Amino acid sequence: MTKKIVLVLAAVVCLARVGTVRAQEPVTTPTPATAATAAAPITDAELKAAAKPTDRTNGDPDGALTGTANDIAIADPKAGLTVTDVLNQIGANRIGVNFTWTLLCGFLIMFMQAGFAVVEAGLCRAKNANHTMMMNFMVYGVGMLAYFLIGFPLQMGGAGAVANLGGSPVLNAEFTFHLFGKDIGLFGNTGYLLMHHGTYDVAVMVIFLFQMVFMDTTTTIVTGTCCERWKYAAFMVSTMFLGAFTYPIFANWAWGGGWLAMLGANFGLGHGYADFAGSGVVHSVGGITALACALILGPRIGKFTRDGKPNPIPGHDIMWVLCGCFILAFGWFGFNPGSTLAMSGNGGLRASSVAVNTMLAGMTGSFGGILYMWIRYGKPDASMSGNAFLAGLVAITAPSGFVNPVAAAIIGLVAGVLVCVSCEFIERVLKIDDPVGAISVHGTNGLWGVIAVGLFSDGKSNYGGSWNGVNGGVTGLFYGDAGQLVAQLLGVATLIGFVFVLSFVFNLLVDWFVGQRVSAKSELAGLDIPEMGALAYPDFVLKPEAEVAV
Amino acid sequence: MTLVGLAVTFLGFVIAFVSLGVTESTGMRMAIVLVGIVVSLIGIMGLITPAYQKSWIYKKG
Repeated sequence: MTKKIVLVLAAVVCLARVGTVRAQEPVTTPTPATAATAAAPITDAELKAAAKPTDRTNGDPDGALTGTANDIAIADPKAGLTVTDVLNQIGANRIGVNFTWTLLCGFLIMFMQAGFAVVEAGLCRAKNANHTMMMNFMVYGVGMLAYFLIGFPLQMGGAGAVANLGGSPVLNAEFTFHLFGKDIGLFGNTGYLLMHHGTYDVAVMVIFLFQMVFMDTTTTIVTGTCCERWKYAAFMVSTMFLGAFTYPIFANWAWGGGWLAMLGANFGLGHGYADFAGSGVVHSVGGITALACALILGPRIGKFTRDGKPNPIPGHDIMWVLCGCFILAFGWFGFNPGSTLAMSGNGGLRASSVAVNTMLAGMTGSFGGILYMWIRYGKPDASMSGNAFLAGLVAITAPSGFVNPVAAAIIGLVAGVLVCVSCEFIERVLKIDDPVGAISVHGTNGLWGVIAVGLFSDGKSNYGGSWNGVNGGVTGLFYGDAGQLVAQLLGVATLIGFVFVLSFVFNLLVDWFVGQRVSAKSELAGLDIPEMGALAYPDFVLKPEAEVAV
Repeated sequence: MTLVGLAVTFLGFVIAFVSLGVTESTGMRMAIVLVGIVVSLIGIMGLITPAYQKSWIYKKG
C-alpha cells in the first residue's frame, strides 16, 4: 500500500515537473529575419485579385461580405486598388479611430454640465433652484462664446501638431519672451474664429471641441461656490473673463507649449509640468477662481452668526446631488481616458489603465470621506460622501495617465479625507461660505492631484516615446525623479500666486462695474423671482427664512 | 490691505518663478518654490481674507 502511494506520488510529481517545464518553455515565435523572408511584399496585382465583386442581392445577414477589400477607398478607379490605397486607408483608419475616440469622450464631458447643474441645484435651497440651474445652463454658452472668440487661440494657438490627430501643423504661433537663456512661452496667437491661418481644419476642430468642454467644466465650478447670492449679470461677465483669459492662459502654459510644459526641456525639471487631464488646469483653476469670487461676494445671509459660528444651510434635494455625482463620474470616463487623444498608436491603449485608475480613485475617495465623517460625526454624511467621491476623481485627473492602480487608490483615499478637512478649514477658520464645497473639491484636491504626479508617477507611461519634449515616461519622486516634483510645485505656485491674483482682479473689476452681489431683499426672497422671474417649483410652498443675521 | 495681499500673493509666484534662474540645483529650486507657495498662501489667508471679512454681512450691525 505504501509503495502504491509512493508510486502515485512520484508519478504526480513527474507529471507536474513535465507540466512545469512545458509551461516554462518559451513560445516559439519567428525571428524578424524569418518573418521577413516568409512574407513577400504585396503587389498591386494581388490587391486587385482580392477586391472581387460580391453578390449582395440577398443581403449580408452574417456580415461576411461587409467590410472587405471592396470597401477600401480607391484613388484612381482606372488603376484599381493599389498598395498606396491600402496604406492610405490604414492611416485614415488610425486617425479615424482617434477622432472617434476623442470626439465621443468630448461628448461625454459635455454631459458633465448636466451633472454639475443637478449637484449644485440640489445643494442650494429650493428658492434659488431656478437661478442656480440657469447659471449652469448659460455657463455652457457664455463660456463657449468667450473661448471661441478669444480663449482657444490664446490656449492652443502655439500648441503645435498633435500626432494622434493627424499632425496638423497650423497651430504654430506661440508668443514668447527670452529669459534665463530660454524662450518662455506665454500665449498662443493663431486660430481666431477657427478660420485664422489655415485653422479651418478637421484636426483643429477635434482639438477645439475637446478643449472647449474642458474649459466649460472650469467655468461651472465657480457657479456652485457663488450660488444663492450671485447677480446673474455679474455671473455672465465673470464667466466671459474666465473662458476668454484666465483659463486659456494657464492652459497654454500647461498644455499649449507654454513655459510650464517646457520646464523639463528648458530647465531639466523632469518632463516639465505634467497634468494629464487637468487636476490643475481645469479643477484648480476653477476652484481657485471660486475662492476669489467667494471672498468678494462674502457669505450668504444667515450662514454665520455674529460671532462667526457657521450655521448649516442644507440643500433642498440630496437625491439630485448624488445622482449628479454619478453623472459626473460617468463623464469623467471621457475626461481622463479621452486625454490620450488616441486609441490607436502613441500609447493610446493606455486609456484602459487611465479609466481603471479613474474609477479606483473615485471609489477610495468616497470611502475616505464616508469613514472620516462617520468617525468624526457619527454619521456618513451624504453630501460629503458625494463630494469625497468627486474629490477622488479630481485628484486622479492629473496623475491618471502616469500612475499605477495602487497609487491611484492611495491618491483617491487621501483626497476623500482631504476634502472633508478642507471644507472644515474653509468654513470654520477662513469663514468663507462655499455652499457646494467646490473650493475644497476642485481647488484643494486639484492641487493635491498636481502634487501627486510629482510623487507617484512610475515612469511606465509611454505616449509616443516622450512627454513635453522629454524622452521616456513621467517619473515622480518615489520612483527617483525629484525634478518632476519641483515642476509640479511650480505649477502649484503658479495656480496660487498667479491664477488667484488674475481671477481676483478680474472679479474685482466686475464688482466695481456690474456689482457681484444681489440685494439682501432679493437674497432673502430667493433669487428665482428677483433674478429669473420664475420659480423652479411654482406649485410648492417654500419655507419662510427662519432667522436672519442682519 | 486687499492690494497688499494681492501683491504678496503675486510675490510668492515671482519667488517660485525666479528659482529657475538663480540656481540649477533641484533641492534649492524646491526650497525656493516652497517658500513662494507659503508667501502666496500668507497673502490669501493672512491678508486678503481678513481684509474682506471686515465687510462681510454677518459682521455688520
